[in-house]
Amino acid sequence: MHIMEGFLPWQWCVVWWIIAIPCLILGILQLKRVLASDREALPLLGVTGGFIFILSSLKLPSVTGSCSHPTGTGLSSICFGPWVTSVICAIVLLFQSLFLAHGGLSVLGANIVSMGIVGPLAGWAVWRTLRDTGINMYLTVFLACAIADLITYVVTSLELALAYPAEVGGFVSSFVLFLGIFAITQIPLAIVEGIVLALVFKYIVQLKPEILIRLKVFPDEKIRAAGSDA
Amino acid sequence: MYEELLEDIAQTNGLREVNTYTKLAAGLGGILLCLLSATCVAPLFIAIALSLALLILARIDVKTYVKIFVAPVIFAVFSVSVIILLAGGETVFWSWQPLSWLSLSFTREGINEGIFVFSRILGGTSALLFIALTTPMTDLFAVMRRARFPEEVLDLAMIIYRTIFLIMSHLVLVYRAQVMRLGYRTIRESVHSYAMLCGAVFIASWESGEDLVRAMESRCYDGKFAVLGEGGPVSLRSAFTVLCFLMISGILVATTRHITFL
Repeated sequence: MHIMEGFLPWQWCVVWWIIAIPCLILGILQLKRVLASDREALPLLGVTGGFIFILSSLKLPSVTGSCSHPTGTGLSSICFGPWVTSVICAIVLLFQSLFLAHGGLSVLGANIVSMGIVGPLAGWAVWRTLRDTGINMYLTVFLACAIADLITYVVTSLELALAYPAEVGGFVSSFVLFLGIFAITQIPLAIVEGIVLALVFKYIVQLKPEILIRLKVFPDEKIRAAGSDA
Repeated sequence: MYEELLEDIAQTNGLREVNTYTKLAAGLGGILLCLLSATCVAPLFIAIALSLALLILARIDVKTYVKIFVAPVIFAVFSVSVIILLAGGETVFWSWQPLSWLSLSFTREGINEGIFVFSRILGGTSALLFIALTTPMTDLFAVMRRARFPEEVLDLAMIIYRTIFLIMSHLVLVYRAQVMRLGYRTIRESVHSYAMLCGAVFIASWESGEDLVRAMESRCYDGKFAVLGEGGPVSLRSAFTVLCFLMISGILVATTRHITFL
């Protein structure tokens, strides 16, 4: 879910850029470290970015009749970590605004914070907590991806509510109303995205488990066991 | 299934050969002036002027342009309706308080605010589309390199750009094959087919990434991609047109600070 060009007043555009930039710098530093130790990682990171872009330009099987797009950031954040994902997302968001007219340039900071930083961070936290427990691998991926998507939408509503607080009830009632209005499309979308990405993960486990083993997404034996079961 | 990429249009539009900086000045200037404006007059002027430039000078198909505009407008209608209901104000036309902390109302101030935000979205989106539909990404990469973007980010951006088109062609093939085998007949089948499509595309793109590594290594890749120049030279006519547009918009921003719709 993207905020479109022109929606936020300039003061808020500046605030979100100020929040996004240090995270992006952290991501770029980490990216440089990754590339210095393993140059082969660059094309692989590029492929992930391309995949996120393509995923978000696909229309999901319609649930509410509206045109919904998955974010795909959950899968990237469990593969590469949240900070590198924030850089990939920033590039993907720029491409989305220029290739598809989703989002915009002045609101790019706000969109990076919601879709590139907080969402992936939440997904990554879920994955990190559940990774080494006995919980099913696919359920972990489902939860990480669905929560990354859901938190992205909550943060977007927060950004909208902060920019346009209500006269009565101020920020809180505005936040609740924005949450309510977008819940119609976003909650089913998060669930479908979780299911789809968990299934995608299943196909990767079945057909090319070495990718996941190389990225250390789950312990080797867990992936191998799931791959041989299928 | 997938959306038309504006990049395809940007490669063939009527303003393709105009200098990149001139086009960026018009687009980014338009976005900035929309943000600085305090009323709906300047954003509406920017929306009309840039849309006409796109339709007449860049020769963009009207139908395509309208289609691209629909998605942002749907989001705008949802969000602006919340702003109108919550903004409150002195002149109340209708109001309803379902909960102690929530009051919905139609007021003169709320409607003015809503119309202002809506016009800013129209203006901002037209300015964004002006850049998107007239300037191919390859030209923007050259500008970014001159602006000293970090090399790693720029290289990553270029690989993502290249991968998008690779994956897209693969995706179309698999999707058509799935449709022909009735893969999207029911919701349940759609979800399965869709996940299979995404999985296949992920694996295919991963393999193409590995091929890319091998190809680049064998061609002495040293961590820096070569980028071509940034389009034609600055022409006086186009620079003067952009300057006039920005000046008129700037004057409108400065002089219409107190005009309201209602």
